[in-house]
Formats: sequence, C-alpha cells, structure tokens
Amino acid sequence: MNPVLIDKPSPTTQAPPPVRLVDNKRGTWGMAFFIATEAALFLAMFFAYYYTDKTSSQWRGEIPPKLHYALPMLAVLLVSSAVLYWGEQQVKKLRYGAARIALIGTILLGIVFLVLTYFEDMEHLQHLTPRTDSYGSIFYAITSLHGAHVLFGLLMLTWVLVMPRWEPALYTPHRPYHNVAMYWHFVDTVWIFIVALLYVAPNLYNYA
Amino acid sequence: MSTAVEQRLVELWETPKTIKGLLSTVDHKEIGKRYIATAMVFLFIGGIEALIMRIQLARPDQAILGPETYNQIFTMHGMTMIFWYASPILSGFGVYLVPLMIGSRDMAFPRFNAFTYWTYLLSGVLLYISPFLGQSPHGGWFAYVPYTNVPYSPGWGMDFYNTSLILLTISTTGGAINFIVTILHLRAPGMAVSKMPLFLYSTLTVSFVTVFALPSLTAANIFLELDRRWGTHFFDVAYGGSVVLWQHLFWFFGHPWVYIIFLPATGMISLIVPVFSRRPIVGYAYVAIATVLTGVVGFGVWVHHMFAIGEGHMGMSFFSAASMTISIFTIVQVWAWLATIWKGHPVLTTSMHFAIAFIALIVVGGLSGVVTAVIPVDWQMTDTYFVVSHIHYVLVGANMMPVFAAFYYWLPKMTGRMLDEKLGKISFWIIFVGFNLAFFPMHLLGVLGMPRRIYTYKPGLGWDGINMLITVGAFILAFGILLSLINFFWSLKNGRLAGKNPWNADTLEWSTESPPAPYGSVHIPTVVTRHPLWDEHEEEEDPKGERVLDQDRLTLSSTWLDAETISLARMPEDTILPLLLALGFFVLFIALTFQWYWLALGCVVFSMIVAAIWFWPKPQEGELA
Repeated sequence: MNPVLIDKPSPTTQAPPPVRLVDNKRGTWGMAFFIATEAALFLAMFFAYYYTDKTSSQWRGEIPPKLHYALPMLAVLLVSSAVLYWGEQQVKKLRYGAARIALIGTILLGIVFLVLTYFEDMEHLQHLTPRTDSYGSIFYAITSLHGAHVLFGLLMLTWVLVMPRWEPALYTPHRPYHNVAMYWHFVDTVWIFIVALLYVAPNLYNYA
Repeated sequence: MSTAVEQRLVELWETPKTIKGLLSTVDHKEIGKRYIATAMVFLFIGGIEALIMRIQLARPDQAILGPETYNQIFTMHGMTMIFWYASPILSGFGVYLVPLMIGSRDMAFPRFNAFTYWTYLLSGVLLYISPFLGQSPHGGWFAYVPYTNVPYSPGWGMDFYNTSLILLTISTTGGAINFIVTILHLRAPGMAVSKMPLFLYSTLTVSFVTVFALPSLTAANIFLELDRRWGTHFFDVAYGGSVVLWQHLFWFFGHPWVYIIFLPATGMISLIVPVFSRRPIVGYAYVAIATVLTGVVGFGVWVHHMFAIGEGHMGMSFFSAASMTISIFTIVQVWAWLATIWKGHPVLTTSMHFAIAFIALIVVGGLSGVVTAVIPVDWQMTDTYFVVSHIHYVLVGANMMPVFAAFYYWLPKMTGRMLDEKLGKISFWIIFVGFNLAFFPMHLLGVLGMPRRIYTYKPGLGWDGINMLITVGAFILAFGILLSLINFFWSLKNGRLAGKNPWNADTLEWSTESPPAPYGSVHIPTVVTRHPLWDEHEEEEDPKGERVLDQDRLTLSSTWLDAETISLARMPEDTILPLLLALGFFVLFIALTFQWYWLALGCVVFSMIVAAIWFWPKPQEGELA
C-alpha cells in the first residue's frame, strides 16, 4: 500500500539521556490499584448494607451494636498505623533497626485487634448471628471480610519483617516496606468507616 | 556488531522450547497468543451451544432438548461468550500488542501476566466441569435471585456459577491493573499521552472501569454463595433480605462490563480504519475523550436493565437520560471513523470489510439500545427477542466484527504470514449475511411478543417462519467463521510472508520483525508524533547504543504524562510460580464449590507459600551499566 506522508514533526526531540536508576515504582502502583479495587469491594458491601436497610422493614427492631469493643479496636488500629508511619520514616533514613522495631510493634497491635475481634464476636453472637436475618448477614459479612484483611495484612507485615536486605539499599526492603504499609493504612481506614457506618450511626439513629 | 547485540538480547529474553519453558514463560507475546487461542476455543464452544439451541427452536413443539437442559445450555452460552470469550479475546490482543505498541519489552508485571492467563484458563475449566456432572448453571448469565437460590436451584450448578466467576474476576482485575501500570509507566520516550495510539486509550479506560466495577460482581457472588451454602439471608425476603439488591449489584458491574467488551474493540477500529483509509484519524482528541467519557458515564446507566421492576420515577428518568447521553459518545466515534474514510483513500482489504461492517452494525445495535432506553418501549420489549437481538447486535457486531478485523490485520504480525484475502472476503460476506439473517428477524420476533428463554413454543403464533430463518442464518454465520479459521490454519504454512510492515501502518508494533523477536526491538524506540512510522523521525536512531539495554532483562520506564525516561525497569526471569499459584487458586475454588473446607484451607496455605517465594527479593548482581 502507498506510504502515508504526514506533516513534518515539530522540532525533533533529542534522544533521551541514558539513565542508571532502577525502577522501583511499579510495585507501588500495582499495590495502589489493588487497594483501589479492594476499596470498591467494601463500597459494594456498604451499598448492600444501606440498600437493604432502606428497603427492609425488619431492620427497625434491631439492637444497635455496642461500642465498648469497637472504639478500643479503632484506637488500636490508629496507633498501629501511626507506629508504622514512623517506621516508614526510619526506612527512608536507612535506620533499619528502628524500622524493624516499628514493624514488630504494628504486628503486635494487629494481633491485639484480632484478639479483641474474637471477644467482641463471642459477645455479639449471643443475640445476633449471620443466620438471624439479613442485617446479621451483612453485618458479619463486612466485619469478617475486614478481619480477613487484617489477617492478610499481618502476614504481609511478617513477611517484610523476615525479608533479607540486599543491596542496593534503596531497592529492598525499602519498597516492600512502603507497599505493605500502604495496604495496612488502607485496612485501618476501612475500619474507621466500619465503626462510623455500622457501629456509631445505628446508635445515633437507633433505628427509630 | 548488530548481530552480536541481537544474539545477546536473544539469550536474555528467549524462552527455551521445552516443557518447562512452555509452563514457565512470562513472555507477553506467548501469553497474548494463548489468551487469543483460549478465547477462540470458548467462542467455538459457545457457538456450538448456540447452534444446539437454534436447532431446538427451529420449529415449534420440538423436543430435542428438555426445559432443564435448554436452561443450562443458554446459561452456559451466555456465560461462555460474555465472560470467557468477549473480554479475554481483547485482553489477548492487549497483552500481545500493548508492550510492542509502547516500545516496551514486556508488561509491567510479566509474572503476574502469566498468572492472570492461567487463572483465566482454569476458571473456564472450573466452569466446564459442571456439564460433566449434568449440573451446569441454569439461571441465565445474570442469575436473578430468588430463582438461583437453593430452594429453586438445589444442585451444584449455581455454585459453579459463583466460584468460577469469582476466580475469573481475580484474573480480569489482575490483568486490568497490569495494563494500567504498563501503559502509564512503560511508554517509549516521547510517547506523551497526546501521542498514544487510540487503542491504548480504550484499553486504559476499560482497565480503570474493571478495577472499580468488578468488585460489585464479586460481592454479589459472595453473597449468593453464602446464601446458598451458609444459611445467610442477603436475598431472602422472609428474613429482611432484598432480591433487588442482587440486580443492583449485578448490573452495577454488568453495564460497565458491556463497555469493557466494547471499548477496546473500538480502539482497534480506531487504528485499523485510518491505516486502510491512508490518513490519520479525524478528530483524534474527540475520539480519545469520547472513549474516556463512555467509561465514566458507563457507571451511571445500570438501572436501565431494571426498568421493569418499578423503581422510583425520578431515578428511572435519570437513568433513562444517562443511557441516551452515553450514545452520544459512541456517535462521536462513529462520525470520526466515517469522516476518516470519507477524507481518505480507502483500501478495501478483508480487515477493512469487517471494520466497516462493524460501523454499520453498531449503529443498528446502538439504535435498538436507544429505543429501549425509552421506558415505555422498554416495558413493552423487555424479556422478548427484541432484547436478544439488541444484545447480539452490540456484542457480536461490536465485539466479534472488530476482533475479526483485528485478526486479518494483526495475525500477520503474530505468525509472520498473511491470511488469504480472497477467502477472507468470502468468509466476511458469509459472516455478514448470516449474522443479519440470524439476528435482524429477532427484532420482529420481539415485537410479535416471543419471550426469550423459552425452550419451545406453540405453532400458529406467527413465529414459525422467522424462527426457521434465524436458525438458517445462525448456521450460515457459523460456516463463515469456520472459513476464517480454515484461512488462518492454511496461512500458517502457505501464507505469503508478511515482512515487517505489510500494511504500511503507523504504530510501533509494525517496526518489529514479524513475528517479533523475543525482545521486541533492538533499541528501545523514541517517539515524536502520533504516527511513529509515518513521520521522518527514526525511532531506533541510537548511535551510542544507549537504548539497547543488554546488561540484563531491562526496559525503560517513564513519566505518566510526558513519557520522559526516568529509570531502567528490571524484568523477571521465566518462572513456574505463576502456574503453581493459579493451580492453588483453582483447587481452592473447586474446594469452595463443594464445601471441602479442609482442602480449601490447605490451598490457602499453599498459595501463600508460593506467593511468599514469588515476592522474595533477589540479590542484585553488581551495579547496572
């Protein structure tokens, strides 16, 4: 076929200068979009919660969930995020010892969260189970999904903790640390929303 | 010198042709071809299912299929075509073409790319275990509750529906993330967003749509599976659940999905039409913007699938208006293609035949779509063959036609051999005639009131002749597709050699050999215009060899907007881990289908160990160049 001639390119750009830096951003962006799709999953679940609330007449008689576990659990996660954030700052300054201590602190706080979850569920299941009604189904689906995310986050944090450090230092464990921390902050943020929408709001409205 | 460099690059990038090489390759070209081949197998299976249905419906009161078998077959047909053919075939072209088109040597996450292919394949295998148990899904591809809940669908069929779709969702979402990072991060120096080929715009748009829309399907599937086997009450009205919730969750995913299997096809057309019109596309910026807006507004139209359930007046008006608005963006693209042909010097190759047919069919399918966006008409037409006709005009017309255009256009790049033009054009006309014969009369059948999803009908309702005509059309269509397949296999040995750029096309993939070397191009190309091969700039001009990057498996990574080079992206070696992880997921989802919880737990532990090994950091050998 005939060649196509288009207008001459405006000033031919210079060849790009050679680079030596090794890319370490792909993993971070991959994690960012993974978090985005996870956030959409939680959004779909919150939608299910509010949609069923709006259309169901049975939810009016529900007892709102108690706050005496949820709020301390929120505090535990917020502190863990703060500790991990401090750890990230230490990694940037190449202080790996301090960063590891922060990681251990975060993991311990995460375990405390799971233990509290266990006690909360034991108490809550006395009068509401996933099989009681649609409210119970959605409530436990959301909180269990979040619990699974906490567990998954803990496993990833542990993995970064035991990971060996290879040179060049900027490559690892700098990036895995940062990426997994992003995930952990996300899991904590989800809990903020769960406490606000599933725990506090029903107590304010009291299903009147 | 050049051959020594090529030798070194081949050593770095080539996958050995052994069993281990086959199972562990992370080469995007190999994986892309596998995607395409697998999707074609699913097209074949789904087509056979369609033909079986058409034999049953050819005449009234036939009893070749019982009602339950018929339900299973139309459900499997819908699922196969929509989930396992229409989207993966476009992913296949994307995986093969995107890295070449942006001058990169692989996708951003090559191992993950292999993983998403294996999960795609295995999710299809999981779905197709069900017919061997005689218990396929039977609730239609959108599986409305309460029919799909345990009281009305006791067998394993709907469990297969849930688990195989969740597994496919993992694959599709992973693939989308891979596309996003690849396109944003690995473009050749100089390929600013204003110079990207339009196929990249459409692939990028649907990848974002996938990331945000698919979780809604996952949530719906999780809820349904919990309802079916765990005794919860999400969709159980007696316990305060809502059946309409399923429809909202499903269609919030479902309508964006329509664009996921439509937009990349328009992106292909936006590359093929200009090349065969011998001029740049008219209105590049408008087409790019229309593509992105289709993806965005596509999130706001889902309720138009649910007009018949009686939503509030205000809400329905909004969704009706949004549904009409979205057609504007498609019209912008249609006019751009028409203007390109009008202003150009069209060359009527087989590929161009399919492209022009696509433009005609999308207008027909689009118009019947606008018609059903009008609520009173929708109430009249819903669940009739009118909707069946519409869905096939937009899905076959706007997905299969562009895919065939893409076959005739890009297969020479993949195989190195041209397909036969004469046989191709015969095949095209048979497909085109068969398609319209099969699907146009369905409009009429819908107006005459024939409901969809009935396994047979009584004579004398005025449907008999039309149904026979449709069946004849379906077989003609199938024969036409068969001719193109024959053409393909014939060309593998006997086709004319394609050479680098048989169409004199403008995008970067045509600057590589046909088929491309394992490393793509020797020097990472640079780009200064939208049409790299049509301008006077020499892409691989690199006298000092700075962009050969033969120190390791390397490619360049660049900034998101201006594509300025920032660093060297190191690519992983071939590895069997993606296959192992996919197998772990596959067995996990089989276990979940049948509630074998100990096996499921074992698979989770196995998958985590594989993932931990996968992400274990490798020691960096010395300094980079």
